[in-house]
Amino acid sequence: MPYQEALTIVAPIRPGEVDAVKRVLGTIPDHIDAWDVIPFDRLPRLHFARLVVFDEATDLDGQTIAAQLALMTNVDAPLDAHLNDLAGTAGAGLDTVFGGCAGYPDESHRTPAERLRFLQRYTHDAAAFYVNRQWRSVDQIRNEETLRREIGTFLDSADFSHHSADALRKAIRDFVGGRADLRWALEPAEPPGLGWRIRNLLHLIEHVGIALLLLPPAILLAPILLALLRSHERADVPDTSAAPAESIDRLRADEDFWVHNQVVAAGAFKPGLFRQVVTTVILRTTDFACRHIYNRGSLSGLNTIHFARWVAMDEGRRMFFSSNYDGSLESYMNDFIDKAAWGLNAIFSNGDGFPRTSFLFCGGIRDEKAYKRFLPTRQVQSRVWYSAYPYLTTKNVANNAAIRAGLSGQMNADETRTWLRRFGLGNQLPASGLVARILDSVPWDRLCRFSK
Amino acid sequence: MPLLEIDDIQGIILFGYGRLRSACYLLLQIAEPVASRAWLKTAEFSSAHFDPNTTDRAVNIAFTPAGLSRLGLNDAVMADFAGEFLQGMTGTSHRQRTLGDVGDSSPDGWSWGGPRNPEPHVLLMLFGRDDTVLAAVVQDLEAALPRAGLSLIARLDTSWLPKQREHFGFRDGVSRTDIDGFHTDARPENSIAPGEFILGYLNAYGQYTQRPLVAPEGDPQGLLAAAPDDPNRRDLGMNGSYLVFRQLRQHVGAFWKYVDEQAKRIPGIVDPNATVRLASKMIGRWPSGTPLVVAPTVDDPARCDENEFFYYRSDDPHGLKCPIGAHIRRANPRDALDPEPGSDRSIDVGKRHRVLRRGRTYGPAVAESMEVPDILAAADTGGDRGLHFICFNTQIGRQFEFIQHTWLNNPKFDGLYEDDDPLVGDRGGSHGKPGGTFTVQAEPVRTRVTGMPRFTRVRGGGYFFMPGIRAVRFLGSLGSR
Repeated sequence: MPYQEALTIVAPIRPGEVDAVKRVLGTIPDHIDAWDVIPFDRLPRLHFARLVVFDEATDLDGQTIAAQLALMTNVDAPLDAHLNDLAGTAGAGLDTVFGGCAGYPDESHRTPAERLRFLQRYTHDAAAFYVNRQWRSVDQIRNEETLRREIGTFLDSADFSHHSADALRKAIRDFVGGRADLRWALEPAEPPGLGWRIRNLLHLIEHVGIALLLLPPAILLAPILLALLRSHERADVPDTSAAPAESIDRLRADEDFWVHNQVVAAGAFKPGLFRQVVTTVILRTTDFACRHIYNRGSLSGLNTIHFARWVAMDEGRRMFFSSNYDGSLESYMNDFIDKAAWGLNAIFSNGDGFPRTSFLFCGGIRDEKAYKRFLPTRQVQSRVWYSAYPYLTTKNVANNAAIRAGLSGQMNADETRTWLRRFGLGNQLPASGLVARILDSVPWDRLCRFSK
Repeated sequence: MPLLEIDDIQGIILFGYGRLRSACYLLLQIAEPVASRAWLKTAEFSSAHFDPNTTDRAVNIAFTPAGLSRLGLNDAVMADFAGEFLQGMTGTSHRQRTLGDVGDSSPDGWSWGGPRNPEPHVLLMLFGRDDTVLAAVVQDLEAALPRAGLSLIARLDTSWLPKQREHFGFRDGVSRTDIDGFHTDARPENSIAPGEFILGYLNAYGQYTQRPLVAPEGDPQGLLAAAPDDPNRRDLGMNGSYLVFRQLRQHVGAFWKYVDEQAKRIPGIVDPNATVRLASKMIGRWPSGTPLVVAPTVDDPARCDENEFFYYRSDDPHGLKCPIGAHIRRANPRDALDPEPGSDRSIDVGKRHRVLRRGRTYGPAVAESMEVPDILAAADTGGDRGLHFICFNTQIGRQFEFIQHTWLNNPKFDGLYEDDDPLVGDRGGSHGKPGGTFTVQAEPVRTRVTGMPRFTRVRGGGYFFMPGIRAVRFLGSLGSR
C-alpha cells in the first residue's frame, strides 16, 4: 500500500489563448458525470484531480502576472508512475488542455517524453500538504466501501437481534470468508512501509531539531518579535470589498452536486521581510503539523478535509490554497470559524487583505462577517474536477477502514460491541495524537479576549 | 444585553399566537405604489407588545425584494439586504439543489412563489381568536385592498389540528427556541443571542448582521432609529427579520403505508406497536410528543412537553434511544455534533444554526381524533394537507439553509451513509443511490429500512423581509420627498 502525494503543475498560458483554454475546460456543471478530454477515471491510483485557470492579475507592485493553467492531483505513490500516466495514457488530453501553454511541446514533438519534460518543468512543490489519513490508497478506499455495502446487505437478510455480539461478529467473518471477492478483507490493511516510516521519523527529528535550535533565540527575541508582529498587524489593511454577486453565483453553481466540494483561493503574500519570515515559518510548521500532529483524520478539529495543499506561485509573490472537503462551502466556512480559527489565522493572515488578526492567532477568521465577505474575493473557479469516491465522506472512509480492521484479530466484548455499531453509524473517529489533543484543548476564545 | 424593542418588533416573530387559533396568509402584489405607501403609513400592524388575554386578532406584514423595489426603495439600499433574500428561494439552480426543490418539488410545479406564478410583493399574515374573528379581519382587509393599491394573488388558509398535532399524527411545536434577555426562564443551553433572529442586535458571534442602513437624508422625517453599530446612519433592518416560507404538502397515507409495511418486515420487531415505534424512531418523539431520549421503549404521555434533554449528556451518544437520523435529532442536534459532542462548545456551535419556527398546518385532518390507529384506518384520499412552514432568522445561509442542507437533506449527517431526513428529506441521492434509507441503531446491530420515498413535497415558498414597525412606516414614506 502506498502513501499519498500531491502533484501541482502551474504553467503560463500563451497570450490570446486564455479563452480557448477555458472553452476546452468548460465548467464543472458542464461535465458533471464525466469529462472525456482527460479520462481521469481511467488513471490508476488517482484520488482527486482538478484544472484551474488563474486569470491575469497584478501583483502588489503593479506588475502583471500572466494567466496560468494549473493541474492538481492527489495520487498514490509513486509520483513518477502518475506523471508517466499523464504523459502517456492521458497524453492526447494533456495536449488538448495544455496546448495553449507557453513551453508546451510543438505538435510535431508531442511524445510522452516531451510531455513529461513539460510537466516536470512546471511542477510546483506544495509548501504544506494535508492528507486526511496517510497510507490509504484509492483502491483500498473503494474496496472497503464495497465490503461495507455487502456486509450491510448480509445484515439485512436475517434477524440477528438475538445473536450475542461475539456470535454476530463470527457470522460476519464467516460471510466475508465465504465470498471469494471479499476474502481479502480478513487480512488487515498493510501498515505503512518501513522505508516510509524511517523517512518520516528522520523528517520529524530534523524539524524538531531545527525548532530546538531556533527556540532559544526566538525566546530571547520574543518581545521584539511580538512588537514587530503587532505593529505589522496594526498597519495591515484588510480588504473590505465584496466580490460581485455574479462571481459568487458562478462559484456556487459549481457546488453541492456530490457530498464532496472543492475550493481554491489565491492571493498575494503580504510584503516585507518580516512577513516573509513569518510566512516561511508558519508554512513549514503547517506542513510539519499535517505530517506528524494532525495525521489521524482531524486538522485542528476539521475532520471533513480529504486533501489540502498550500502552494507558492509566481516566484513567491502569491500563494494558493486548494482542498477537497465534505459538505457545503457554508458549513466549511463555519467550521473554519468555529473549530480551527487559530491555526487558519496563523496561515492565512500572511495573505494580503485578510481580516485583521491580533497576535497571529486571534481575530481574523473569527470576524464572521469580514471573513465570509473576504473569501469569495480570493476564490478561483475550478473548471474541471474529479473525485474517485464522490459519495464517501472522510468519516465514511475512516469507518469503512475500521470495519475492515475489525474483521481480523482478537476483540474483547466491549470492542466487539463498538465495532458492530459501525454498521449503523460511522462517527467514531480514531483519537488524535497527544500533541493534537493538547493543541485542540487550548481555550482560544478565552485567550483571545485578552488580545484586543 | 439591550432589551428587545417589543413595541417595534412584529408580534409573529416573537410569538406563535397560540391563542389565536384561526389564521390565513395573503399573497399580494402592489398595483399602485402611491396608494400602498399611503396605506402602510397608517395601517395597524401588531407588535410583540400585546396582552394575550385580551388580544383577539393580529396582522403582520412582510415583503419580497420586488415589493420593496416597487415601493421605491433604491437599489443601493436594497443591495445591503442578505444575498439569499435578494436572489429568492428559487433564485438559482444551486439553491434549488441544496434545498431539495427538485423533481416533483421543483418550483416549476409550485402553486405559488415559483417562476410560473405571479410574483408576490407582500405577505399579510392574519390571525383571529376563532374563525368568526378571522373572517372579520379578512373582510376588513379585503375591503381595504383596493384603497391600499394591493391586489390579491393567493390566499393560504390554515387549520388547527387537535392536540397540537401535525398531519402525520405527532405533537408538534414542543421544542421552543429561547432568546437571550427575552425568555427570562430560558436554560442557557437553549437560549440564543437575539441577533440570530432579529436584526439590529448582537448575534451569536457578537456581531451585528449586515442589513440596510440609510443615510440621514434618506430618512428626512426621522422615522428610523439610529443603527447601534453606525449611529450616523438610520437602521432599516432594526427589529426586522427574514421570514422563510415553505408550503410543504404531507403525504400522510404514503407515510403510514410505508412505515406499516416496513415495520412488519423488519426482523426483530414483531409486536402490534411496531408501526408506531418505527414511525416514532423516525421522528424522535412519540405521537404524544414525549422524546425517545426520555422514554426509549414505550410512550409516556405524561412527559409530552419534555424538552430539557440532550443526546450525549442524556446518555444516548450512539442513537440507541433516539436514532442519529431521527428528524428532531437532525433539526436540532443539541449537543450531538462536533466539536467534542456533549461539551459546551458543541452546544455553542449548534446555537449558530437555529431558527424561530412560526408555521401552521393546513388542510383537513385525515382523522379527527389525530390518533395513529385512526389515521392508519382512515383512507388518505390524497387531499392537499400539510404544513405552512414559516421560520425567522437573520442569516438565511447559516441558519435555515444550513439546517435544510447540512442537517436534513444530508445523507452523511453525523457519520451516516445514505440516510436523509426520514420525514422531510429530499431523497436527493447524493450518496449515489436513489431513495432514502433510515437506520435504527440497535444492539447487537442496527436495523434499517430502505427505498423510502419522499413524504413531503414543496408546493410553494419564498423569502420575505418582515420589517420593524417603524421601518414599515418608513417604507410608506418613501415617495414623499
